[in-house]
Amino acid sequence: MVTIGNAHEDLIHDAVLDYYGKRLATSSSDKTIKIFEVENDEHKLVETLRGHEGPVWQVSWAHPKFGVILASASYDGKVFIWKEENGKWSIISQHSVHQASVNSVSWAPHEYGAQLLVASSDGKISIVEYKEDGTTSSIVIERAHAIGVNSATWAPPVSAGSSIENDKSKSLQERRFASGGSDNLVKIWKFNPEVNTYELEHTLEGHTDWVRDVAWSPSVLARSYIASASQDRTVIIWSQDKPGANWSKQYLTEEKFPDVVWRANWSLSGNILAVSGGDNKVTLWRESLDGRWESAGQIDE
Amino acid sequence: MVKINDIHETSTFAWSYDSIPILATGTAAGVIDDDFSSSSSLSFYNIYDKTPILKLDSDAKFNDLDWSKSNELLVGALENGSIQFWNTKNLIDNNEVIPIVQNNNFKSHSNSIKSIQFSKVQTNVLASGGNNGEIFIYDTNKLKTNNLDPFPPGIGMTPMDTVNSVAWNNNVGHIFASAGSSGYTAIWDLRAKKELIHLSYTTNTGSRATLSTVAWHPSLSTKLATASEADGAPVILTWDLRNSNAPETILTGHKKGILSLDWNSKDSNLLLSSGKDNTTILWNPITSEKLTQYPTTASWVFKSRFAPSSPDIFASSSFDKKISIQTLQDTSPPISNKLNQTSENDFWNNISEVDTQQPEYFIQQAPNWYGRSSNVSFGFGGKIVTVAQNDDKHSEIKISKLNLSGSKTNVELFN
Repeated sequence: MVTIGNAHEDLIHDAVLDYYGKRLATSSSDKTIKIFEVENDEHKLVETLRGHEGPVWQVSWAHPKFGVILASASYDGKVFIWKEENGKWSIISQHSVHQASVNSVSWAPHEYGAQLLVASSDGKISIVEYKEDGTTSSIVIERAHAIGVNSATWAPPVSAGSSIENDKSKSLQERRFASGGSDNLVKIWKFNPEVNTYELEHTLEGHTDWVRDVAWSPSVLARSYIASASQDRTVIIWSQDKPGANWSKQYLTEEKFPDVVWRANWSLSGNILAVSGGDNKVTLWRESLDGRWESAGQIDE
Repeated sequence: MVKINDIHETSTFAWSYDSIPILATGTAAGVIDDDFSSSSSLSFYNIYDKTPILKLDSDAKFNDLDWSKSNELLVGALENGSIQFWNTKNLIDNNEVIPIVQNNNFKSHSNSIKSIQFSKVQTNVLASGGNNGEIFIYDTNKLKTNNLDPFPPGIGMTPMDTVNSVAWNNNVGHIFASAGSSGYTAIWDLRAKKELIHLSYTTNTGSRATLSTVAWHPSLSTKLATASEADGAPVILTWDLRNSNAPETILTGHKKGILSLDWNSKDSNLLLSSGKDNTTILWNPITSEKLTQYPTTASWVFKSRFAPSSPDIFASSSFDKKISIQTLQDTSPPISNKLNQTSENDFWNNISEVDTQQPEYFIQQAPNWYGRSSNVSFGFGGKIVTVAQNDDKHSEIKISKLNLSGSKTNVELFN
């Protein structure tokens, strides 16, 4: 186990390992991002990235096929794209279409190309595509959630793993993501290539307070799962038999969590859900054979 | 986006407690419109719309409006001295608001009522303040009996003159504060049926502050903020009643008297004020720092309030026929930057279309409802990364390895 104490001068809001599990990027209210190298029980600070003018809420590593690239989301309303080349980090792009805090940023499944999903308190969601020729193009969804968007998550590619080329290109057309907002709603959006934008497919009602996080399970099974974590101290598992079908709702636990639930995150295979709350506890969950959600342990202090 | 909407009315207002709040507006008393109309109305707005979803006629103009925390009851303090209630239970579902008709409405006050507020602790309890130092307390559960039976709060220390502001303590149900043109703020204890303390202040230069507006700390029961409407001493003072001899902090920055104060219910490091210098200012009342100054209006800003369920949003009402709904934050680049890049013609064309005024940010302070304190993510090889908060300023990161051994519920963590 690796423990990193006092890595930043203020609270830390995100810590993510890269694709290989060897580098850790952390982001903090001290306005910086730090990169650590992690090997066995050792960790070493290799870089501190400065540039944001507010707390940095979230960071996301791009797939290594695009290079060593990190995106960061800040209260200052900006997303920076950082790149490491020959051991030197620099900002290669800046995304500033938002007029308020950017709360979440995540790279699309690499099959979609270098695409970033961005959620902001200005109520908008933006999707930025970084093309191979160096240009970018953005899609902005105005008023995606009234009062603000707190989180957004990509759906895994539909029928990923299919070897038939036709299916693959079809799956790229079927791009979807989910978002959660301060209107207490979870929304599902689907790409419409004819108008080159994302259109609202489903609105999921269930939470009674702000939705803090949404996480689409990366599972390649036919059934889709989305976990939503809320200020109302509940986690809801939304599931769907096949793309486009109706979503059904199931509370992760009968009783409420002891505090606000900040984060819900699936393991890489999608079989374990981790939930972190305002009480500093991280609990693990999995679906039993009869379709109920049961505890799979807790990360102890 | 900072500006969400402008509603073209000279009105007082109240926010509902819905997750996407509704704004209720009532034609302001003591104002003559450009059309010299004497009619008065109560309107309900979605925050993004310029036309009301519902509009009702009212017998008299409004000095104040407040919504009960249950969202079911809206109360108006009318210029003619009566109090009017509306049942708003079916506002969102059926677009229906029903006036609660009473004999002569409720004439507790002998004259105009200036201020009215529901308690957030005992949500059925209401206080009103008006001319001649009159203050009354009501139990709205008695609305059913058609007799509100208002009673005065008890014995005062000195005459109050006009009571411009009443404010319930956010933690202790029987404590409230009143402030008015007499220049001091009084703290009342309904259980003891008397005024407990009164606060007054004279500046270093000898100007007497007129503590005419009061707002309580959202969570600490002994702390409150008062503001002075005197142009000679436009100060905001925060107090801890455990030492009522001197204020804790003094916020200076308004150029003329202050008419409105609101302490953010979710983040006690945010306080909103507005006044006769036509500005609205966001403060950190704990550090005494001025955080943001919002665009000035053409006339006095007489009321500004955060939306209770969406504390990122506030409304401010001014005598130039405007209620502005804005967000606290605006990270868009300065207008001058946007316009510089275009030609001269574009400059003039654009400038008429965009609001050229932007808020001025002195300190970027993220409200406390942002920023998660704990986090979890997975990594390659069964690694799990957790972030936990140690204290106000420090977090700890742990990388553990997840081992899903034989039994399906048994997760072991090892180095």
